Amino acid sequence: MNNEQKHEKKKNIYSWILSLPAMSWLIFFFLIPYIIIFIYSFYQADIYDIKAILTLDAYKNVFSPEYFRSFFISFRLALITTFLCFLLGYPAAYLIARSSEKIKNTLLVLIIIPFWTNFIIRIFSWRIFLSPEGILNNALIYFNLIDTPLMLIRNDFAVILVMVYVYLPYMILPLYSNIEKMDFTLLDAAMDLGASPKKTFFKITLPLSKDGILAGSILVFIPALGAYIIPQLVGSQDSLYIGQIITYKIKNIPRNWPLASALSLMLLILISALMVLFYTLHIKFKERMIVKDEDEK
Amino acid sequence: MKNKNANIFTVTTFTFVIIFLYIPILLLIVYSFNDSKIISSWRGFTFKYYYLLLKNREIINAFKNTMIIGVLSTIASTVLGVLSALALENKRFFGTKFFKGLVFVPLIMPDILMGVSLALLFSFLKIRMGMFTVLIAHITFCVSYTIIVIQSRLEGFDYHLEEAAMDLGANKTQIFFKIKLPLMMPGIIAAALLAFTLSIDDFVITFFTSGRGFNTLPVYVEGAIRRGTITTINALSTLMIGLTLMFATITKRIRKYLIAV
Repeated sequence: MNNEQKHEKKKNIYSWILSLPAMSWLIFFFLIPYIIIFIYSFYQADIYDIKAILTLDAYKNVFSPEYFRSFFISFRLALITTFLCFLLGYPAAYLIARSSEKIKNTLLVLIIIPFWTNFIIRIFSWRIFLSPEGILNNALIYFNLIDTPLMLIRNDFAVILVMVYVYLPYMILPLYSNIEKMDFTLLDAAMDLGASPKKTFFKITLPLSKDGILAGSILVFIPALGAYIIPQLVGSQDSLYIGQIITYKIKNIPRNWPLASALSLMLLILISALMVLFYTLHIKFKERMIVKDEDEK
Repeated sequence: MKNKNANIFTVTTFTFVIIFLYIPILLLIVYSFNDSKIISSWRGFTFKYYYLLLKNREIINAFKNTMIIGVLSTIASTVLGVLSALALENKRFFGTKFFKGLVFVPLIMPDILMGVSLALLFSFLKIRMGMFTVLIAHITFCVSYTIIVIQSRLEGFDYHLEEAAMDLGANKTQIFFKIKLPLMMPGIIAAALLAFTLSIDDFVITFFTSGRGFNTLPVYVEGAIRRGTITTINALSTLMIGLTLMFATITKRIRKYLIAV
């Protein structure tokens, strides 16, 4: 017994030493930077960087309607993007998961290949495609569907389109790995018992893929909240998303680092709140499943 | 038979998704050979832009930087990943939960927050931004991915093999290098590939941590789009697509080979 405990202790120290390099790296370059953000948010702004004078200026500005609005449109964008990714991604993931082994791999590779192209370049390509003198407008004019070119970029439509384009694989892949593990005999059983395909889908398939939907939604929603470069390249400059505002305050002169820090903290708090919400939902679902199981027994 | 409608629906959606995903890529390839300054009109076939590309010092420099950062951050984050995955084999050492949280949270953090926080850290520490700071940033966002990929491969590890080797008189170093490491290899390679892809693709975090004068390819491309000097970008993108596809095929071969071994 004593020997075993000793062995256990030795093993723990060994694991601890192994984890130390990555742990200290992440503490130093991931965790501490957020503490720096926190500190900077209490400094006074300077057009280049900061003055080391403590003030609450940044927080007085943070709650202005302008920034509230940009938080709101970022939230709306993330919500729409996640929803559209789900609508397109679910059937696609379902098809991949239910294909034969050989086709499955080909389909997965087809989804992954665009990932291998630089994403700035892909966004740039959408700009060409959608621009007033771009292919889409030319084709529409050629076929007499429109007379004058449509304004397809520099608006929210383009932002949503490109966001869905970029984030779609992040939804498809977790959904696929979840659906693949599903017990399809349950679906056959439901059908045999007379449930319509529609009913089977909503009562069995969809509830069973809840974990995949949750994972995919997190992977799309949270990063989408902080979108910067997509709105910057295809969006309008009239309505700025929160990522753009933070970037401008950090990069463009006159800078305002304390304000950017305060806004980043707000974004961080929003994300943390959402994560807690997602987590509770996840636990709730699990509990309900267990309760149901016990009821049936 | 009952599912026929559902099948038609999933196949249609999938086809739409594929067309959607490939439109911009095909477009770039076609237009990289277009002999026209205006993107929309087709003026005949040319290799002009490829020639201009190879003469452009800035692009070549940015390409070199991207590769250096990509390789170095891949090596560093993979080594950190291997060590951490080995640590996480032990499910309950002191601070496991904290460590796991620390590994998972960066995965979902928006790039912009990581970019801003690192930029402010470097300014706080009065470190001049350049290649060094970009490298630190890239290792930081790659390391979570490498840890998770390698660790998930270790999850299915058959510990009887280790015991068998021990029974046969192998010492710990031998067990590690002759049994564990080779079995971990597919995971390590997958992790390294992922890290490399993430690194050469990153724009936002590099944009915040690179400062003036140090460009990676994505940062250069974004600048070129902003300045409007876009003619060579199509050619550049096509070359990059070609390179990545080549890279993907080669690595697939390597992986197949490793699995066969």
